[in-house]
Amino acid sequence: MEEHKTAQSFTVPIGPQHPALKEPSHFRITVDGEIVKDAYVRLGYAHRGIEKATESRTWTQNLYMLERICGICSHIHGMTYCLAVERLAQVQVSARAQAIRVLFAELERIHSHMLWFGVTAHEAGFDTLFMYSWRDRETVMDILEELSGNRVNYSANILGGVKFDVDESRVESILDGINFLEERTHYYLEVVSTDALFLQRTHEIGTMNRREAEVLGTVGPTARASGVNRDIRIEAPYAAYDQFPIQITLDDSGDLKARVLVRLRELFESYRVIRQILKNLPSGDLTVRMPRRIQQGETVLRVEAPRGELFYFIRSNGSDTPDRIKVRTPTICNMMSVIKLAVGHQLADVPMILAGIDPCFSCNDRMVMINQSNKTSHRWRWEELRQHGINYYQQRTA
Amino acid sequence: MNDTEKTLKTASQLLEQWMWMTEVTRPEPNRLDARLKTSDDLIPIVAGLRVIRLGYLCAITGLDPGLESGELEVLYHFCVGEAVITLRLNVPRQDGCLPSLCEIIPSAEVFERELQEMFGIRIEGLRNPSRLYLPDDWPEDVFPLRKDFDQDKLRSYVTLGDC
Repeated sequence: MEEHKTAQSFTVPIGPQHPALKEPSHFRITVDGEIVKDAYVRLGYAHRGIEKATESRTWTQNLYMLERICGICSHIHGMTYCLAVERLAQVQVSARAQAIRVLFAELERIHSHMLWFGVTAHEAGFDTLFMYSWRDRETVMDILEELSGNRVNYSANILGGVKFDVDESRVESILDGINFLEERTHYYLEVVSTDALFLQRTHEIGTMNRREAEVLGTVGPTARASGVNRDIRIEAPYAAYDQFPIQITLDDSGDLKARVLVRLRELFESYRVIRQILKNLPSGDLTVRMPRRIQQGETVLRVEAPRGELFYFIRSNGSDTPDRIKVRTPTICNMMSVIKLAVGHQLADVPMILAGIDPCFSCNDRMVMINQSNKTSHRWRWEELRQHGINYYQQRTA
Repeated sequence: MNDTEKTLKTASQLLEQWMWMTEVTRPEPNRLDARLKTSDDLIPIVAGLRVIRLGYLCAITGLDPGLESGELEVLYHFCVGEAVITLRLNVPRQDGCLPSLCEIIPSAEVFERELQEMFGIRIEGLRNPSRLYLPDDWPEDVFPLRKDFDQDKLRSYVTLGDC
């Protein structure tokens, strides 16, 4: 990457501290006046070595680690891993468990989209909308907490099924929450398509046509907002999506406004599917028995995470630990579009363009070394960190 | 399933007949694996898949079959609908090298840069071959996703105060 230092252009380093979302990534943006001429991204600040770490843990332990790849879409990682391992082990999971997995996945999508919607509103300087959407998001967080006991990292999956059942007494309160959210989503749709100031920040900003979206390899709502007809839930239905089909949400205009609209409209599909699942929840056991060792083989599993297509490749060598788990998250596919889209725009539009793909850096980066060092003289190793954790909790309980 | 079958049939025709050296297998109902004999076949085959608009590059997976084989394996996954077409290539562990797909598929860049730093397979023709995930001071010859990666050896590279 060459840096331009001519009389006209100037390079602005942004980050690694929260360029848009509160997550680390470093951007170097070359500007001529206010116009972006070139952009460069440096990732890896939240890379935790999860792919490598899976090789030294058992199949069960890995479930809990992979769920922690992302704090927002934790369920989708756990579910994809379980579906893939169950496929490798040739274990058939009950229809009820699969439906509950989809239920959690769609609730997670609502919470993820609402969170993103708030961040985007905040980036646009529309803090009232940000607070509204985050307040309303609490509704879906409460539903998730009621179902699983947790707001994030619900840990609903286990190999061979799910942990939590949906009993009759809870259905009503979930439906109440969904009704409220649906009403609010209609209101948001109206706001984002009529508010002049918000439109100023989104209308015809960061426009990407269908061809560009395909060439840049974008996935998920970012691609669908440019008219790319691709949703893994429809193309390759997994879990219970064949019983509870989804209708695709598309928009052809390809700008930031379209990305907002696609995500909001997608929520209606989620509400519809959640109602359908609650009404027609199949019966069956929650779990089936899984072998401790998974037979030799390889499998590929693709799912539609809130941010787009998530890809897992798992290879087993017949032992109780996987030989290789490859995770390709949606943000890495969308990230390159930011770099290309930013060029030609105002520097001031960069945060919005970045927020427009709903970036998730911890999805992106999965590795950083165990050696923690700081500027003074003390450096922690994994063992020391572990010891610190133990000591800390001992002192707290003492 | 019919669409998937049709797609996989088209792909296997392309791969088997056009490139007579490739071996084609069906590990799962929705998957087709083609083992390429040399990396010279990679660009023509990918171009062929692009010409008939068969799928998009979904991911590139690196595999390490172990030290004794002396090789690494690279998997290019192309997806269309439910179907996954995988091109598999073996690359020598020492000085392994692959051509970049960026000329045909620009979005391959990030996957190739990840493969390059994690497995130590040099990708020729990358516009920006710099590090994607690993820190700037990561040692040149340590590749974390290889099976012989040694954490203790890595520690010996890092000394106090060079952060």
